[in-house]
Amino acid sequence: MTHIGGSPRLLTALDTLVGVDLDAWLAGPGGAALTAAVADPAAAREAVRLADLRGMGGAAFPTARKWDAVAAATVPAGERWVIANGNEDEPGTFKDRVLLEHAPHLIIEGALAAAACCGAANVVLYVNPRHAGVEAAIAEAVAQWRDHHLLDELERVLGEPVRLRVHASSGLYVGGEDTAAIASVEGGFPFPRRKPPYPTTHGVEGMPTVVNNVETLAQAAVLLRLGAPAYRDLGVGEASGTRLYSLSGDVIRPGLYELPSGTSLRSLVFDHGGGMLADRSFKAVFTGGPSNTLLATDGLDVALDPDSVVAAGSRLGTGAMIVISEGTSITRKVAEYIDFFAGASCGPCPPCRTGTHQLSQILHRIDTGHGTPADLDTLRSLTALLPGSGNCGLVDAAATVVASALERFPHEFERQVHHR
Amino acid sequence: MTSAGIPYEHAVEAWRAAAPAPPRSLDVPAADVLAAHHPDHQAHGTTTLRVGANAGDRCPSVLADLLESASLVDDVDIAGTAVADTDVVVVGGGGAGCAAALTAADQGARVLVLNKLRLGDSNTVMAEGGIQAAVAPEDSLQRHFADTVRAGHLAGSRDLVAAMVHDGPDVIRWLIQLGVTFDTVAGDAGEVLMARGRAGGTTVPRILSCRDHTGLEIMRSLREAVALHPGIVVRDHAPVVELLTDTHGRCTGAVVVDLVSNAVQLVRANAVLLTTGGAGRLYVGSFPSSNHYGATADGLVLAYRAGARLVDVDSFQYHPTGLAWPSALVGQLITEAARGAGALLVNGHGERFVDEVAPRDVVAAAMLREMADGRAVERDGQVGLLLDVPSLVADQPEILTDRLVTLAKLAARAGVDPTAEPLMVRPTLHYQNGGVVIDEHGATGVAGLWCAGEVAGGIHGRNRVMGNALLDILAFGRRAGRAAAHAAGERIRRPVGLHHLQQWQRGLVDAGLPLDRRAPLLFPPESNVTPDDVMARCR
Amino acid sequence: MRIEIDGRKITAADGTTLLGAWLAAGHPLVDHVGCMGQGVCGACRVLVRRAGQDEATTELACVTRAEDGLQAAFLDDTTPHRAHPYHLDPTHDSWDAHGRVTEVFPEAPSCRHCDGCNNACPVDLEVHEGVVAAVAGDLVAAAGRFEDCVMCDLCTTACPEHIAPNHLGLFLRRMTTSLSLRPDDLLRRLHEIERGHMTIDVHASVEERG
Repeated sequence: MTHIGGSPRLLTALDTLVGVDLDAWLAGPGGAALTAAVADPAAAREAVRLADLRGMGGAAFPTARKWDAVAAATVPAGERWVIANGNEDEPGTFKDRVLLEHAPHLIIEGALAAAACCGAANVVLYVNPRHAGVEAAIAEAVAQWRDHHLLDELERVLGEPVRLRVHASSGLYVGGEDTAAIASVEGGFPFPRRKPPYPTTHGVEGMPTVVNNVETLAQAAVLLRLGAPAYRDLGVGEASGTRLYSLSGDVIRPGLYELPSGTSLRSLVFDHGGGMLADRSFKAVFTGGPSNTLLATDGLDVALDPDSVVAAGSRLGTGAMIVISEGTSITRKVAEYIDFFAGASCGPCPPCRTGTHQLSQILHRIDTGHGTPADLDTLRSLTALLPGSGNCGLVDAAATVVASALERFPHEFERQVHHR
Repeated sequence: MTSAGIPYEHAVEAWRAAAPAPPRSLDVPAADVLAAHHPDHQAHGTTTLRVGANAGDRCPSVLADLLESASLVDDVDIAGTAVADTDVVVVGGGGAGCAAALTAADQGARVLVLNKLRLGDSNTVMAEGGIQAAVAPEDSLQRHFADTVRAGHLAGSRDLVAAMVHDGPDVIRWLIQLGVTFDTVAGDAGEVLMARGRAGGTTVPRILSCRDHTGLEIMRSLREAVALHPGIVVRDHAPVVELLTDTHGRCTGAVVVDLVSNAVQLVRANAVLLTTGGAGRLYVGSFPSSNHYGATADGLVLAYRAGARLVDVDSFQYHPTGLAWPSALVGQLITEAARGAGALLVNGHGERFVDEVAPRDVVAAAMLREMADGRAVERDGQVGLLLDVPSLVADQPEILTDRLVTLAKLAARAGVDPTAEPLMVRPTLHYQNGGVVIDEHGATGVAGLWCAGEVAGGIHGRNRVMGNALLDILAFGRRAGRAAAHAAGERIRRPVGLHHLQQWQRGLVDAGLPLDRRAPLLFPPESNVTPDDVMARCR
Repeated sequence: MRIEIDGRKITAADGTTLLGAWLAAGHPLVDHVGCMGQGVCGACRVLVRRAGQDEATTELACVTRAEDGLQAAFLDDTTPHRAHPYHLDPTHDSWDAHGRVTEVFPEAPSCRHCDGCNNACPVDLEVHEGVVAAVAGDLVAAAGRFEDCVMCDLCTTACPEHIAPNHLGLFLRRMTTSLSLRPDDLLRRLHEIERGHMTIDVHASVEERG
């Protein structure tokens, strides 16, 4: 199991990491959140709003706004959907798979609480079959909820039988995009769709749908159990609650850290991660995907909560932090991540496939010593041309990483091209 | 060279009033029109070569400047450079190069194809009308032979023409085996016959085609066959800037510039085959060019400097129907198949002035005569003649969708409705009639060096018939490939050097020619890149 | 009008193509160029975004006209496609033509039907329909879809399943032709030549006309 560290430990507490044992979960902290949501769905939504819970799959969208939108729909519960998105596939992010395997009931309870809050009878656990053990664990965990009295309570409130099921995703990166998850649940290939319309009004089969990242739902379960004020107090300063940080790269102790939201990047890297590997100095971190703007040394004291990271010019994304030391090449790392995006580009939008492929070609040329100054002009021009040209944000993410690397580390690119 | 013409609006009115205009042949002998108006016959813009095997011959100045230039490399530039070995090196992967590479590789030779741009980037892919081969019952090899020799004003080598013509039907079979398709028609008894069109100046329809993108159809199959052949290595963006020679003057390889890694590299081969194409991008006579970006006479320069003899280098073909308007599309061609099918040429008075299916040089000269005498059409400062496609469409309503599909697309890009409005056309530099002297196997006067395709000369004399270019490149490409593979069978590792350059430099010095004018040109004048720029990338 | 190509700001004359504008502005050009306006060689592939539009398109720079505010970037001629080797063997059993398609192009049945190939094609071919027809065994119809293909490889770059649609199309065209085209007049003429019944007299008199 991945190294898990940090404090306070709520999502990753020992009595939460009980695996597929529902009795053990309910004997510990389990059950309180769902009970609260079933007892008063509107109050539960209000708690989620007060706790300022944000999506943890990348976009940091306020969870309460999605729930409120679906709760306000006029269609019956049987035509509303909750999708727990556990597709997680981007480099450097490895939190959801740990939760799914070791705390499946936390996620299921969060998803059922969301269903109670939104009045949705369809609950889909959308998981990535490429994560060894996850699909089996979650299927077994779901089976244990059948005929459980807590589920009966939920059905009573909804007035409909709850259809709780597991849906294996394609395993492809794009399948994690919310509209792609919907397409997959509908039985099709997970092609993202242009937004708007948004899933809360036009989701599965055109019906109101909440798509939440599995950590978001786990956090929802924790906050409904603790109450919004206590949950908020877990964070540093204005930040609310805890969150999972996937720490990797040139640090001594990479791993999964559950820390108060708003913990500084410096604290994550040096206090928890044990500092930089081989005494190299810190150079940069690829945040959350790696699909966002890089943070460099002047970003070390940024508080790792969604708003503070945006204020610093980047985005927290999935909470993944890939740390780069002075011993690691930015150009090579960027080339590696662009290769990931180029391989993940799913097809319908030629600018995305050809654009990411072209970015990859140029970056590899620069990385292997065949780049020219004109290549840098072309890279910059592509980062301006590409964003917005795809149905989803993949090509934007690729362009952002390249633009940011060029902006923060121009000397590294300049040094590697040949002036003829 | 052109005086202003009749305003387009007036010319169209005159055309519409008379269309379809009645036939009208030249009112003077063709020979007189050629002498007075064909660019080959004008002294303006030509010079006399002073060094090399053709010293004393007339040559367009823009070409002479390249032929009589210094090498891009000195011995010191290639010292310390690793040498790669192969059996046959093919310079230029157009139609002739691909045919040669495939043939040589099928004989067991290891073949390296070097491309200045990419494999298949060539005039071949742009050829529209078709390929000549005498397959019809009423046709014969002899008739094809006579038509070719006659169109060339009896200047072509009869042996070369016979070799090419003889190979015609076999070349078509070879192409079909490679997956190249041709248009067919049903015979009276339901048999499958090859559809045939008529080339200007010939006595029988002999043009075989795949719609009006025959070159594209041929090139994409040849290119794929080469790319997939296990015996052939292809390198793109790797122009040859000089030939390697041994102390006996035998060609033993090539100096290559790798534009991807910006390095000079040497290739040693038992046989070097130049299939570099023509010279249209030199804009001989300041004519617009229909040619591919790479048509910069590189092979002529390399072969001439190594001692090969050239023939008819002062003779070029001007395709009668290049677009003259709009200016952005000048140089784009309308296939001769349009005239072959019945499209008429009309001047600013709505009159025909030449038999549209006369030989190309006669039609072009007649058009230049109309332009010089103020009977042409002027539109937005561009001058040309009218090609009456609407009357052709009225007569054959399906022709734009069935056969002249490229013409229809080009007209759309020009913003012209080809069913209602004539196109404006003018003679456009299209083909280098002459080239390196070869024998029936593509061998040049330089041991170890073969040539095929447009770079070679002596086949078409001083005027080429439509459809003989595609046959030429394939017939001689295969012949040269076979001969080169045979020679390469010796597998002798000969010394490589630049032994021919000393003698060449002495010649330049003796003739008082500049030593700082370097060639091959590699990229055309509009490229904003000189050969010196290219070499500077490697330093 | 002002356009931008590969990050260079260029003033373009009305009616010029992107390639023409690039050259007229004095920028060097040693690749991404070929037939210069005929649109048949596929060398000058560009990604184009017009002013005020979100979408970008893949086009050929030698035929695309400059428009004010247009941004473009040249696309390299390298493609991520795996080689699909085959040899057209004249003695091959033509009854197995359909089987050969998926033997040489094993990815074709995995088509996601994303339409990316159609969206990428600069000459507006129905590439996807060609792939579907090929997999279904409708070989002649499939081959026909690729009649005007200029082999620019944009669909190959666009295809997420690495089907290499244009190479599949070319394979179909080549295979169907090489297995089935046998013109009677050509067969007769080859027979005559190979048996020595038709020769050329190089010394025969030829009169010049005119």
